[in-house]
Amino acid sequence: MSTQARHPPVLVLEDSDEDFDTTLVAARAAGITNPIRRVTSGDACLDVLRGDESARLRPALVLLDLNTPGMDGRDTLVAIRADPSLRSLPVVVLSTSADPRDVKYCYLQGANAYHVKPVRYVDHLEVLREVFDYWLTRVAPSAR
Amino acid sequence: MITPSTVAAPVPWEGQPYSIKRHGTTLTNCDVEPVQTPGCVQAHGALLVLRLADLAILQVSENVERWLGRSTQDLLGQSAVAALGERGAARLREILAGGSTENCPLYVFTLDARGETPALDVVVHTTGGVVVVEIEATGRGDAGLQSDYYTLVKQAVGRLHSARTLRDFCQIVSGEVRELTGLDRVMVYRFHEDGHGEVVAESRLDHLAPWLGLHYPAEDIPRPAREIFKQLWIRPVPEVGAELAELVPLVSPDSGKPLSMTHCALRGPSIMYTEYLQNMGVKACLTMPIRQGGELWGLIACHHYSGPTSFSYQVRAACELFAQVVSLHHRAIADREQMSYRLRAEGVHQQLVAGSAQEAGLAALTEGTPTLLDALDVGGAAIYHRRRWWRVGKTPSDAQLAALGEWLHHGREREASSRPYYATDLLSRDYPPAEAFADVASGLLAVPLALSYRSFVLWFRPETLQTVTWGGNPHEKPTVPGPHGPRLTPRKSFELFVESVRLRSLPWTQVEIDAATRLRQLLIELVIDQGERLEDLNTDLLRSNEDLDSFAHVASHDLKEPLRGIHKYAHQLLDDATLVNEEQRRKLEGLMRLTVRMDSLLDSLLHFARVGRADLDRTPEDLGEVLEEAAEMVEVRRAERRTSLVLPRPLPRAPCDRVQVREVLVNLLANAMKYNESPQPRVEVGYLAPGEAGDRGPAPLETEGHAVFYVRDNGIGIHPRHQDQVFKMFRRLHGQSAYGGGTGAGLAIVKKLIERHDGRVWIDSTLGQGTTVFFTLEGDTP
Repeated sequence: MSTQARHPPVLVLEDSDEDFDTTLVAARAAGITNPIRRVTSGDACLDVLRGDESARLRPALVLLDLNTPGMDGRDTLVAIRADPSLRSLPVVVLSTSADPRDVKYCYLQGANAYHVKPVRYVDHLEVLREVFDYWLTRVAPSAR
Repeated sequence: MITPSTVAAPVPWEGQPYSIKRHGTTLTNCDVEPVQTPGCVQAHGALLVLRLADLAILQVSENVERWLGRSTQDLLGQSAVAALGERGAARLREILAGGSTENCPLYVFTLDARGETPALDVVVHTTGGVVVVEIEATGRGDAGLQSDYYTLVKQAVGRLHSARTLRDFCQIVSGEVRELTGLDRVMVYRFHEDGHGEVVAESRLDHLAPWLGLHYPAEDIPRPAREIFKQLWIRPVPEVGAELAELVPLVSPDSGKPLSMTHCALRGPSIMYTEYLQNMGVKACLTMPIRQGGELWGLIACHHYSGPTSFSYQVRAACELFAQVVSLHHRAIADREQMSYRLRAEGVHQQLVAGSAQEAGLAALTEGTPTLLDALDVGGAAIYHRRRWWRVGKTPSDAQLAALGEWLHHGREREASSRPYYATDLLSRDYPPAEAFADVASGLLAVPLALSYRSFVLWFRPETLQTVTWGGNPHEKPTVPGPHGPRLTPRKSFELFVESVRLRSLPWTQVEIDAATRLRQLLIELVIDQGERLEDLNTDLLRSNEDLDSFAHVASHDLKEPLRGIHKYAHQLLDDATLVNEEQRRKLEGLMRLTVRMDSLLDSLLHFARVGRADLDRTPEDLGEVLEEAAEMVEVRRAERRTSLVLPRPLPRAPCDRVQVREVLVNLLANAMKYNESPQPRVEVGYLAPGEAGDRGPAPLETEGHAVFYVRDNGIGIHPRHQDQVFKMFRRLHGQSAYGGGTGAGLAIVKKLIERHDGRVWIDSTLGQGTTVFFTLEGDTP
């Protein structure tokens, strides 16, 4: 658990096993040592973020897929930004949708970035690698 | 018998008592002839006028001596006994005491034959304080015959019941009257609304030429003659052209007035009338009216050619009774026929409207079964709606209809609010060009489908002349005309008739006008209904557009996610070089290429769905700047292909959505460069101002008056066969990888963007030489 203290985890909302696998591959490629925690629904995501003191997760970065079962990525984003204790979390949206309406919506709701998942595997890996690199090594972490 | 003169020219009998014998009439004054006080009787009988109070003889016909053996001087001023004997006078007093003789002639008794003088029937009626005694040598006083006539009339009336239609009815009437009278020809003659007459039924001796269907001008039966038929039920002239006997004195010594002879069987006929009959070879004649309400609907006219005859009191009474029954029945039959016409029209119209609600709109009124022609008795019909004509039956030509429509639209607009129809049986009077198509449309009935005559239904009726059945010419046999010349002949009548009905159709009846306005109401309801449905449809469409959009959105996400997975596994398999041989590698690469292609198709679909929905932000833009931006976006490709971009002159400013027009230009520029194999690729972007001369290709009509923009290349061109395909979604003309690939959405998106601007886009292309894409950025209603 000591690593967790040094390297806060990355929380990934992703219902597709393939895409989550790609995320892990990209993290490895980026040399990320932070633990990666996966949830497959918006409700689970919020539970993890708001759980008991002992179980509560303070991630360094949240990656949201928009179209997930139950409470989707959009609602999750809104809920995070509405919660004073979570408002400062860096949230990056990764979505299949390139619809300008989705992009605009997410920025309006306070997403820190919006990335479209490319269909080409190598491109997809590259996008994820850049996200990890940028948010976990280049930028200053959000203050607790 | 010709057009009545409206100028009251002095008549020859001005200021004197009238007598046919003394004054006669001429063609110019027959319309004012005092036919009810002719001053003369037909000489086959004698007439005495008695004072009602004491039965003293006031007037006698000048021929009285021949029948009664006593001179006028002997009789005048004497009592009735002097003329009728004690027994006769007593019987007369009895009858008069009965009190039902006013204007109603009754048989009193028969004077027995004496020597040379035959038995004489005595018929009596009272009128205005005098007793009119008519004496006729009909000599059939025996009671046996009376029951025969009763039976005959009873049978005849019974047969009337079998008639189903007015035509049948008239036919039966003519047959029964001939049976009753034994005359050579019996016709039922009907007056049309304009006063002209038509023979609608006929019963005749076989060798006589048929007159059925013949028409006669209104003037053939002058107004006074028509008036008198509203008062009496029978008009006998047993010896046409026979002598007349004047009354002595000509006016009553008591009142100084001429005798009113309306109800006298012996009343002397007009010279015009008898001359006309003689010109036709008629020797005896009997006429009865057919009345409807207070109006004269027609006549039962009997002609006898074999020779003069006599009409006994019994025959006359039987005919009178029958004529009254005919009028009553006629009313019932006519009402029934009108009702069934009304029902037929209404039924067919309901069916037509129901059909047009369910099927192909108003076309249902003129195509298929039934059509408008099955509802009303017309020659043709047409509908004009949304700048389109539908026609059925005989109608004017397209060009004639178009001009007529214009006239209706402009001339009838004001009227429409007060009266929602226009009906004429003489269209050429209101609209002279109609003379050219009088053979199909002398009559017009029109109803507007809106207050303005912008949409309407028209019914056409041919010129009456076209419908007259002229079954051989019955009047070819030359007759020697009387003193008034050939005018008083049927031949001349027909010519007059032709003149009066030229360019005229049968008139429109109230039933037809009612049916037409009712149809109008049904159609307007239908149009309103369809308007509402259109609104619903628009709402549905809006909703389905939204549905489509969200479907496209969700589907693309849900389709793209597995695509990414497939691509990834193929990639990973490929990475594991130990597992795959060369062929498997090729297949895996193909799999990956297909997933990428699928992905870009989905992107195009999504984009296409969004293009139609995006708000149009129309502001005045410098199209030169917009083109510059677009050119920048395709600069890489331009440089690659060494394409020269040519602008003959700067583009103007135009109100448009900058982003959308930029996308249009990007797509067009990209295509122009992409499908180009010329060693010196060249793309020209220009425009033509409204009205400016220049090549606009096959420009749609509605683009006239608008600036036309174009993008012209010297590329590969498009085969004519494919030119209408290029604007369709995902329609590619070349292989997937040829000309740099593509999804085939570009021009479909261009078309949608242009149409968002109410503009039009079209192409002009020659295979192997190049393509020009033209477009406008505005429509007719900015």
